Amino acid sequence: MNKEFKVLARPYMVWLSILVFVPILAMILISISNLNSSVSVGDLVISFSHFKLLLESSTLIAFRNSLFFATLTTLFSFVLGYFIAYEIKLSRFKNKFILLTIVILPMWSNLILRTESLANIMSENNILKSILGFNLFGNISGTGAAVLFGLVFTYMPFMILSVYTALEKIDFALEEAALDLGLSPIKKFWKVVFPLSLKGVVTGSIMVFLPTLAGFAIPKILSRGRIVFIGTIIENKFVYTNYNHGALLAVVILFFILGSILLLTKFDKEGETLL
Amino acid sequence: MENKKPLIELKNISKSYDDETVVNDVNLTIYENEFLTLLGPSGCGKTTILRMIAGFIKPEAGEIIINGKIFNDLPPYARPIHTVFQKYALFPHLNVIDNVAFGLNNRSWEYLESFFGKDKIEKEAKELGDVSKKTVIRKAIKNLIYKDSEQALKLVKLEGFKKRKVDQLSGGQQQRVALARALVNKPQILLLDEPLAALDLKLRQNMQYELKEMQRNLGITFLFVTHDQEEAMTMSDRIVVMKEGVIQQLGSPKSIYNEPINRYVANFIGETNIIKGTYVKKDVVNFLGVDFKCMGYTFNDNEEVDVVIRPEDFDVVDVEKAKLVGEVVFSLFKGVHNEYEVLVKNEKLLVHTYESYEVGQPIGLTIDPYEIHMMKVEVSE
Repeated sequence: MNKEFKVLARPYMVWLSILVFVPILAMILISISNLNSSVSVGDLVISFSHFKLLLESSTLIAFRNSLFFATLTTLFSFVLGYFIAYEIKLSRFKNKFILLTIVILPMWSNLILRTESLANIMSENNILKSILGFNLFGNISGTGAAVLFGLVFTYMPFMILSVYTALEKIDFALEEAALDLGLSPIKKFWKVVFPLSLKGVVTGSIMVFLPTLAGFAIPKILSRGRIVFIGTIIENKFVYTNYNHGALLAVVILFFILGSILLLTKFDKEGETLL
Repeated sequence: MENKKPLIELKNISKSYDDETVVNDVNLTIYENEFLTLLGPSGCGKTTILRMIAGFIKPEAGEIIINGKIFNDLPPYARPIHTVFQKYALFPHLNVIDNVAFGLNNRSWEYLESFFGKDKIEKEAKELGDVSKKTVIRKAIKNLIYKDSEQALKLVKLEGFKKRKVDQLSGGQQQRVALARALVNKPQILLLDEPLAALDLKLRQNMQYELKEMQRNLGITFLFVTHDQEEAMTMSDRIVVMKEGVIQQLGSPKSIYNEPINRYVANFIGETNIIKGTYVKKDVVNFLGVDFKCMGYTFNDNEEVDVVIRPEDFDVVDVEKAKLVGEVVFSLFKGVHNEYEVLVKNEKLLVHTYESYEVGQPIGLTIDPYEIHMMKVEVSE
C-alpha cells in the first residue's frame, strides 16, 4: 500500500477505534463485571454471577424467537429474492439499474416510520382499508405473521442485491456451453446457474440473518410487544441500566455475528459478492 | 471431395441485427469428415453462421439442413453438434474431469443406453455384480462415462490433470479441456469459434497441427472460424472467405491462395501484388508495359484486368535476361528468404527471393506463364 494512502486512512482508524473497538472492549468488560443500577463504579469487581441469566427461560425463549424468525426470514427472502433477482437478470429492460433502484427504494425511508406504517395498515382500521374498501392484510397486527412479513419486507433487498450480483457475474457463454452439451434450460439452471450463484445466496443469507437476529424494532412494533426477541431484552436491560446483563447478551449476539462472518469468508474467499 | 455425403446444408441463410445485414443469403454445403474454415475479418458474419448452426440464434430466412432434416427450430441441446467456445467457457465450479463428463453426466438414461450400446453397458455391469439391479447398471454407466472422459483427456494430452481446478490451468490447457469436453460426446460436427485466438504463437501452431490430426483420426467434421489466414491455410480442407455477410470465395487453400477471385480475397490471403493490366489476346497479357505469356484465362481481347502475382512467384534473373528491370528500394531479411520492394516503372512490387541484393541495386525479374493470375476488374467501390 502507498504511504500517502496510509496517512489518509488514519482519521478513519481513529474514528474506528473510538467508536467501535473501545465500545466493544468496554462491552466485553462490562459483561463480566457486576455493573448495574444498584452498583456504583467504586464497587466494581469481576463477577460471573449474572451468567445464570443465560439459562433463564425468558432469555431462552427470546433466543429461540430470534433464531426462529431469523431463519424463517432468511428462507423466505432466499426463495422470493432469488426469483426477483433472476427475473431482473433475465429482463430485457435496458436500464437494470432502475430495477435495482426500485428494489432498494423502500430503504430510503426511515425504518421505524416504515414499520409503524406497516403496523398501521395491518391493524383493523386503517387508511388503506378506507381506500380499498377491504383489509389487505386482514387483521394480522401483533401476530408472528406480521413480524415475519415486516422482516422479509425490510431485509429481502439485501438478498436480491447479492444474488443479482452473483448472477450477473456468470459468463453467458457458460449457459450456452451447457445448452450446447445437451442440457435442457431447466437442467442448465440447476447444474450451472444455481451452483455458480450460491456465493451470492450465502452472502445474502448472512446479510438477512444477522440484522434479523439482532434486531428489536421491527418485532417490537409489529408484534405490539407480544413476541420478544433477544434484541428487545438487550434494549430493555440497557434502558433499565442493567448494564452487565445487557452487555452479556450483546456479547453472545456478537459471537453469532463473528461466527457468521467466518462462515462467509470461507464461502467467499475473494469477497466478490460482498457489496 | 467427390462422392462425399453432405452433412450440413445452408440454403439462402440470412440474418440481420438492427437493420444491419450480418449474413446475406448464404448457401453452403459442408461434407462429412471435412475441415472447413470460415475466414474473414471480424464482423463478416462468420461467427453468426456458426451460432446459427449451433442453434443459439435463428436465421431470419433460409434453411439449415443437417443430415437431410431441417434444423431451424431445434434448440441447441437437441443437435448432434458441439462447440468449442472462443473463451473456452469451462465450468468454474467443476474440476477438469467433471467438466469433460458434464455433457454425458446430464444425459437421460435412454440417451446413454443408445450412446454406449446395451452390450457395452452389460459387459461393464457384469464386472460390478448383479446385472438385474438398476443401481449396478447406473454404476456401470457412470464408469463408462468417466472412462470415456479419461480417454478424451488422454487424447488432448491432459491425463494427469483430472482433479485440477479449471482456474489452475493455463490458457492452452483450458483450451484442451474445452476440446475434450466437446469430443467426449462424439459429435458429428464440431464447431470451433476462434479457439486458438487467445494462445501465443508457438502454442497456436502446435494446436493447429494437433487439431488437424485429431480431425483426421476421429472422422468428425470440423467447422472452424478464424480471422487468421495462416491458420486457415494450415488446417483446412476447404476455406470459405467471407466479407460483409457474403461468401467471396470457396475452395481449397491452394486454389484460394493461387487464384483469388477478387482483390479482397487476394489481399486477405497473404501478401500479394495486384497490377493493372490488359488482356491483349489469347494467352498474352500486358502489364507494366511488357507483354507476358499467360495461360488458362479467357477474357475479351483488350479487356482491362487485374493481374495477381504472389511475391514468391517472381524469378530473379540477370538484368540482361529479365523482362522487367527494377531497382531495390527496400530490403528485409526474413530468415528463410529476403523480402524486397522493387520499383518498376513507378509501381512497387513485393518480391521474395533467396538471392541477396542491396538497396539501390538493379534487379531483373521474370514470371512463368502459369504464375500469372488474372481477375476481372471490379467496378470501383
